[in-house]
Amino acid sequence: MGREVAESCVDTMLMEMVAMYSARFYANKPELAARRIEAIGYQVGHQLSERYTMERPRFSDHLEAIKFICKDFWSEVFKKQIDNLKTNHRVKYFLEIMKFLTNFSCVCFSPMSLQGTFVLQDNKFRWLSRVSIDPSSEKETEDPSTPGESKAAQAVSMYLYFPCGIIRGVLSNLGIPCAVSADISSLPTCSFVIRVKA
Amino acid sequence: MIVCVAVVGHQNNPLYIQSFTDADDALKLHHIVHCSLDVIEERVNNPKRSGTTLNEAFLGLLYPTVNYKVYGYLTNTKVKFILVTTDLDVRDTDVRSFFRKFHAAYVDAVSNPFHVPGKKITSRTFAQTVSNIVGSYGLN
Repeated sequence: MGREVAESCVDTMLMEMVAMYSARFYANKPELAARRIEAIGYQVGHQLSERYTMERPRFSDHLEAIKFICKDFWSEVFKKQIDNLKTNHRVKYFLEIMKFLTNFSCVCFSPMSLQGTFVLQDNKFRWLSRVSIDPSSEKETEDPSTPGESKAAQAVSMYLYFPCGIIRGVLSNLGIPCAVSADISSLPTCSFVIRVKA
Repeated sequence: MIVCVAVVGHQNNPLYIQSFTDADDALKLHHIVHCSLDVIEERVNNPKRSGTTLNEAFLGLLYPTVNYKVYGYLTNTKVKFILVTTDLDVRDTDVRSFFRKFHAAYVDAVSNPFHVPGKKITSRTFAQTVSNIVGSYGLN
């Protein structure tokens, strides 16, 4: 029912969006550019979630929604599924020390709050497939090796704000407020860290 | 005959209300739609132990009033569709297919980049599509 668009158009549009916001609209203010791009992603994610959850029954809990993102949503948008999903439920323990009548102290634990962190790992993220991996610059340049590396990493990270915004938009439309960030320590593998707000 | 359709957002804010009958009933229909929101909340929070699947979008008949029957549908994004009809015998399949088409029209309307999520749907195309769906309801 929908019309089709060449994928190169999507790639070009994404590159141009990042270039526009980083170089023209918010030149020298990368944080503002990042925030703006992420907001665009948020709205897109919002609308995409309406479309892709249309045929499905409702989700019963957060994990189902995350699994939906890993499987159906990722294959609709990126033509593949997430390769690895890790969760890191952290439970805060409340320490209660009670003193009994005769100098006994009893310690009991009870879980107080549950905070979910999900890590979605994509081993070949489609929108970064054309980004060149910086050949190791430690050998050539000694001094600017660290800032040089971070400049390349910073340039790549600008391209990840949009998909982070998309994921955040999808989750908040499903009723799960969260914060999403991306981790590119090893290209082309890309990990998205979702921190669900309690 | 369908007299009213409504789209209500996840904070129970009205996104679209359209009545297809004479103007003097409009307020009463709005009131009926408003009351049905409570029924939806109650249905979703206390799942029925008998047969009905907990996670299905189509909620079925919400409550019958004197002249009207009210049907509900809850999407994954907590948006509620309400249908008010005066038909005495309503086939389940008709209502389900109505909601399916309505959902498709809603998704198209929301995908409009000029639509602000949370505000009312002002698209003329959406209004036209909805009238077409209502017009073709029950004809097949």
